[in-house]
This record gives sequence, structure tokens and C-alpha cells, in this order.
Amino acid sequence: MGLKKSQDMPTTSQDERRLPRDLAGLLTALADTDPLARRWAARDLAQHPDAASALVERLSVESEPSVTQVILTSLTLIGDETAVAGLSECLRSEDAMLRNAAIEAMKQLPEEVAPWMGRLLEDPNPDVRIFAVDVLESLRHPQVEEWLIRVITQDAHVNVCATAVDLLGEVGSERAQPALLALKQRFADEPYIQFAADLALKRIAAD
Amino acid sequence: MKRILVIDDAATVRLYHRGILESAGFEVSEAVNGLEALERLAEGPFDLYLVDINMPKLDGYGFLRELRAKDMPQAPAIMVSTEAEDNDQRRAYASGANLYLVKPAKPAQLLAHVLTLLGARHSA
Repeated sequence: MGLKKSQDMPTTSQDERRLPRDLAGLLTALADTDPLARRWAARDLAQHPDAASALVERLSVESEPSVTQVILTSLTLIGDETAVAGLSECLRSEDAMLRNAAIEAMKQLPEEVAPWMGRLLEDPNPDVRIFAVDVLESLRHPQVEEWLIRVITQDAHVNVCATAVDLLGEVGSERAQPALLALKQRFADEPYIQFAADLALKRIAAD
Repeated sequence: MKRILVIDDAATVRLYHRGILESAGFEVSEAVNGLEALERLAEGPFDLYLVDINMPKLDGYGFLRELRAKDMPQAPAIMVSTEAEDNDQRRAYASGANLYLVKPAKPAQLLAHVLTLLGARHSA
């Protein structure tokens, strides 16, 4: 899959890349002190599925936003288990730019992200669960509604449920109605949940 | 009438806050992220900002830092977030927030804080 997607990568002139372009050369360039060299290396490594772990490793120490962005793009293009694991790990980052970019990247990998979603939605950290729900926002996958219903039925954290109920208002169907009503009962003292669940129920009824 | 800018990427949250604030007589504008909020400043000064932290493009911290660096009359800002960690609160205050509230804010609680920050000047 990674190889097929990598065919879309743009080519560039060799003089912009001073290190060898084989895997070993690119991995060396990925640690170069020059951000431009790192950026080109990160871009070219998208054609090497074996480079996913090196890209993930670089992500944790990279300080130049433009290189980070290219690494995320390459991981999206590789799209294997290692790449998705690396992207998922970014949901724990304190760096909002990295976290948001990883969320956007994961939205582009519905089939690859799906096996991880159950785990992410059960992560002990509620922030990670919230960001996992954010990934669902435009994840084109048939299980999205089912995951959201599970969240509002089972998750004990009000803000995780609040994020999920917002999204259910947009993508939910009649299937979500019983769970939304149960959520209102479960968080009877939370005005926001009452408001958001009522809005979602209204939108679903109008569809 | 006092003008409040609600900045949040979640449409439902913006609608919720708009309802609470408008029912108390405030004029409410909305922005979906920090970048759009900075553009909204061209519409004229706001009397208070209600700012989410986690937003795409420019988050709440970034918006407040940019806002506080501007040579313009400054208004109080309430940062609202799902995150209750001390570190997040410290970052919020360091960025220029006047108050940090953990979501979901209850209507009475939110209004009480808004009125306190605006002082006696609010004539809803």
C-alpha cells in the first residue's frame, strides 16, 4: 500500500539533495543539522516503507515545523502499522501543532487507523480519547457511528462524551437515539450534555 | 451592548456559549480557530474573549499571545478547556488569560465570571 501511494510523490532535482538517495543515505540525511536536508530526506523516505520507524523516531525530536509536517506526510503515505502507531503516539504530545497535524494525517488513513481506534478510545488518558474522537470527525469509515455510540454509552468522562455527542449530531442516525437519551440520563446535571444531546437528537430527527 | 468573541472549533460549543451570553444581553461573534479570531479583531474591539485551547491552525495559547502583543486596547480573556491539569492552567495564564475554566462550563458559573471580569460596566 505504501509503495502504491508513494508513486504520487513529486520528484525534485538532484542538486537540491546533496546526500546519497538510497535508504542509508536518506536516514543519515534525516539527522542532518540542516533542516532543508532533513526535509528532503523525510520526503524521499516516503518511498521506503522500511523507514517508518526512523521517521517516527525523528518525529519525537524534530524541532523544525516544516520538517515535522513532511515527516507526517511521509508516514501517511507509508501508512503501515508502524506509521499509524507513530501517528497515534502524537495524540499524547503537548505540542498542539504536532497533535493536530497527526489527527489530520490519521483522518486520511481510515482502514489503517480502524484497528487502532478501539484501543485509542479506551486509552486511560481522557485527552487521548478526546483526540481519538477528533480523528473520527472526518474518518470515512463505516464504523464511525458505532464507535461514537460506544463512547457515549460507556465513557465516564464528561468531556469525552461531549466531544462524541457533538460529532454524533453531524454523522449520527436513528441508531444513535437510544444512546443519546441514555446519555442525557447519565449526565442529568450537566447542562452542556443536555444541550448537545438535544441538538443531536433534533438534527437526527430532521434527517 | 458589550461584545464577546467566542473562539472554539466545535460548532455545538459555540452555539451553547452564544445562547448563554445572548440570553444575558451580550452581543456575540464567533471564530472557529485562533487564526480566524485574529482576523475578527479588524471588526473592532471586543470587550471579552472566550477562548478554547485545542483548535486547529492556531490554538488558544497562540491566539492569546498574538492578541496580547498587539498595540490595541486589551480586553479580558477566559480560557475554557477540557484539560484540568495545572500545567495547562499555567500556560493559559502565561499566554495572557485572565481566567481558566474547565469545560463544560455551567451557564450560571460562566455568566458570573463574565460579569466579574467586565465589572460594573456591563449594561445588559
